[in-house]
Amino acid sequence: MPVHSAGPRLYKSVPFKHLVKKAGSASGGAKGSNIALNLTPFVDMMTILVTFLLMVFSSSGQLLQAQKGLELPIAESRETLQQAPVIIVTKSEITYQGQLVATTESVLRDDSPTFKIDALYERLDAAAKKIKEDVGMGRYDKKLQKACEDAKQQIRPQPGFICPDGLAILQADETTDVRLINKIVNTAKAAGFDNLLFAVKNK
Amino acid sequence: MGAAIGAGDGKKSLNVELNIVPFIDLMSCLTAFLLVTAVWVNIAQINIQPKGKTRDTSNVEVDQEHPTLSVLVQADKIWVGVSRINEFQEIAKKGDDQDWEKFYTTLKDHKASTFFADRTDIEVAAESTTQAPVNYKDIIHAMDIAVKVGFVDVGLSDPNGLAARPSL
Repeated sequence: MPVHSAGPRLYKSVPFKHLVKKAGSASGGAKGSNIALNLTPFVDMMTILVTFLLMVFSSSGQLLQAQKGLELPIAESRETLQQAPVIIVTKSEITYQGQLVATTESVLRDDSPTFKIDALYERLDAAAKKIKEDVGMGRYDKKLQKACEDAKQQIRPQPGFICPDGLAILQADETTDVRLINKIVNTAKAAGFDNLLFAVKNK
Repeated sequence: MGAAIGAGDGKKSLNVELNIVPFIDLMSCLTAFLLVTAVWVNIAQINIQPKGKTRDTSNVEVDQEHPTLSVLVQADKIWVGVSRINEFQEIAKKGDDQDWEKFYTTLKDHKASTFFADRTDIEVAAESTTQAPVNYKDIIHAMDIAVKVGFVDVGLSDPNGLAARPSL
């Protein structure tokens, strides 16, 4: 392949004849070859896109992890979620804070008289004690600490500011058998989690 | 992109070129960040208090003073009952799905009654068997309707722990 000396390339190598005609050739002399791109529509589009994305930006979704085989049930409730230990029930397994606790099949098969899931109970019990200690030591922010004080006086908490003591999130697949949910709820209750947030998808 | 300044006195107009490159850079970075971190599914919650504790019904604390509104979801019907009065209403399934409209109107009627006008508590349970399973979405739907009607303090109970349970 022959080597050519460096020179103007754009309009010689790229056959944009119509552009050359309109804007003048680089070697033509009289007219400049710079084409002013109209950036206004681009900036408009970017502004609209950024505004839209800022509006749909939500921090609550980050509390929950996307899981394979998990479709949340749909509800009209619009109360926002808050940070709490998460129990996830997919079609095949139960996990607590991302760690496998049991398979759904084994839990449904188990017909023990205690009516709770032992492996989950151990983890929840340890977590409940830790949270209780943290609340007692005032390690949560002021609003949550106030919610805990209010809870003692039976004052209804603001959505998103429920006392973390005894609070857990249940993220379960919509096709989960209710027997499994009953077992998990009983286990959570036995471990001291007497306030559960059922994660749902908005309509 | 330029902006004309002055030029009212017949002299040459003073066009100032605004450098919009940093603006476009910033917008591009912001768009990329927001697209990556965007959450397209809005997650909400239904707050429930577990009740009934165990299958051992001797452990269940029943409020003898006030009537309690109990809902039992089964695979083919929904029962709505009032304790103390022991009055039950059966809402049969409509087609493939539960009759949620009738359930809504039933709860609304109860909420309008003198017993529950100033009450916000309700207990919900679901009875599922291998032969007739009840899905989680059905109980969520029932609780969602209860919250919508005004029973915001939803208690999830074991079927045997309901204050008002129909004799099956």
